[in-house]
Amino acid sequence: MFNDFLHIFYPETYELSNGKKVREKFNWGPYIVILLIIATIISGKITGFSFETLFRRGHVFFDFFKLMFPPRWAFWSEIKKPLIDTINMSLLGTAIGCLISLPISFYLASNFKLNKTYLSVHRGILSVFRTLPTLIYARLISIVIGTGTLAGTISIAIFSYSVCVKMLYEQLETIDMGPYEALESTGANRVRCMIAAAYPQIRSYFWSTVLYCFEMNVRSAAILGYVGAGGIGVQINNSLGWREYTNTGLMIFALIVVVVIIETISREIRRRLVQG
Amino acid sequence: MTNKLTVQQQYRKYPSFLPRFIITIIAMIVFYFLWAYTVDYRGINPRGLAIAKSALVGLMKPSWAMMTDLSSTGLLYLLTETLAIALLGTILGLLLALPLAFLCARNVAPRWVNYTVLTLISIMRAFPAFIYGIMFIRVTGPGPFAGALTMAISSVGMLAKLVTEIIEDMNPGIIEALDAAGCSPFEKIRYGIIPQLSSNIISIVIYRLDINVKSASILGVVGAGGIGAPLIYAIAKGSWAETSAMLLGLVVLILILEYFSTKIRTKLA
Repeated sequence: MFNDFLHIFYPETYELSNGKKVREKFNWGPYIVILLIIATIISGKITGFSFETLFRRGHVFFDFFKLMFPPRWAFWSEIKKPLIDTINMSLLGTAIGCLISLPISFYLASNFKLNKTYLSVHRGILSVFRTLPTLIYARLISIVIGTGTLAGTISIAIFSYSVCVKMLYEQLETIDMGPYEALESTGANRVRCMIAAAYPQIRSYFWSTVLYCFEMNVRSAAILGYVGAGGIGVQINNSLGWREYTNTGLMIFALIVVVVIIETISREIRRRLVQG
Repeated sequence: MTNKLTVQQQYRKYPSFLPRFIITIIAMIVFYFLWAYTVDYRGINPRGLAIAKSALVGLMKPSWAMMTDLSSTGLLYLLTETLAIALLGTILGLLLALPLAFLCARNVAPRWVNYTVLTLISIMRAFPAFIYGIMFIRVTGPGPFAGALTMAISSVGMLAKLVTEIIEDMNPGIIEALDAAGCSPFEKIRYGIIPQLSSNIISIVIYRLDINVKSASILGVVGAGGIGAPLIYAIAKGSWAETSAMLLGLVVLILILEYFSTKIRTKLA
């Protein structure tokens, strides 16, 4: 029994009836599971995870809902502007970032045989840009141009650009190059070939990417207020500081309603874009 | 049908210029009004350019003192903490998501259970992560523990939804075959269910870990631990050498993770 258990960790050798020895394939699975368990325990130590605190004070999580519960509707007139600002910031940022990304992505797709060095350098820079969250850009930009919605819009534009370009050039590399070559053989220049033969193939994908970026950005724009980049985050932070939890409740409620509405609409449009 | 068109007819099918032009103009007008409503541009901060210049110079020279510091304010500890928050959050999220996913799968649970759990998951997904952060800070006090819980709760929605799809795609024939061969329930799970699910679930979990590391790095702003808070303070203080070291560390960590996660996922697929 114990020996059977040990065979999880090393491959067993069987002897067949004709005397041939067969060795099982080596399985990394159990080792990875053990490593993962150790890593989880270490992570628990580092983060100070304790079930005791969780059980003892877990109810506070739900008490917070009670504190927020009757949202103070009178506060609505004050949060209307920041809420619309949050949506507008992500809308404008996405529009700017994605519109710039469309022409650039043709230069970054490897199948149009444009400059190789430029391609790899630009891709490298983009992958570095993509790793940093919008919040960090917002903080850096707000130092230079002052706090406000402009900093938020620019940082969202940078982030949308780096995400959208990557998705577009990856899609461009999978398109059918036949129409492109056919047009090239008629003597059309590259830009015309791209517009007439390559762009129609990724058009629906492009719009669906734009909507996807928009969804992501609406979610992340709310937190930008924390670093002074405009939007509803400023108000949420203030109301928490002043312990006006009913105001917080209204803002969180409004934010969630907006996010859900935008996501539902955009999902529906994306579903149709993919089908049509 | 297209073969019968003459060149003239094909030309007439080409979309006309006017509607596109009108749409573009309308889009530009809408864009202008949204911009005017939201964006308050009060001119460049007078000291902004000087700050930007010193920032650019400072960002070129990352602080070695911070990078080699092994104490709890050093770069390595902050990165480990961020990674630990993300890892613990992902694992806890997976543990919470698995039972929900089975309840959500149409081939496992009855229809009314599916819809109840699906509604629950949608409500959980609707909250932005930082709001969970704000709530958990009240439970555990500010620190990485709150961050890990936030990561766990905010990954449940996506993990459960994707795992549900995998469970629904499962091939029931294999389990029937094992049943016919006289396998016990334990053997059916071990040889019929786990091999079908594991590789896809691992791929999803790694993908989510990638996302979680990124969001763990910003949750520090609301006080939920990780590299976010020190980074934002360093930028606010204008200590660019430290900012640079932290940005560099974060970028390297995320790039390494991304590299391995794509490699593992392409191997599993």
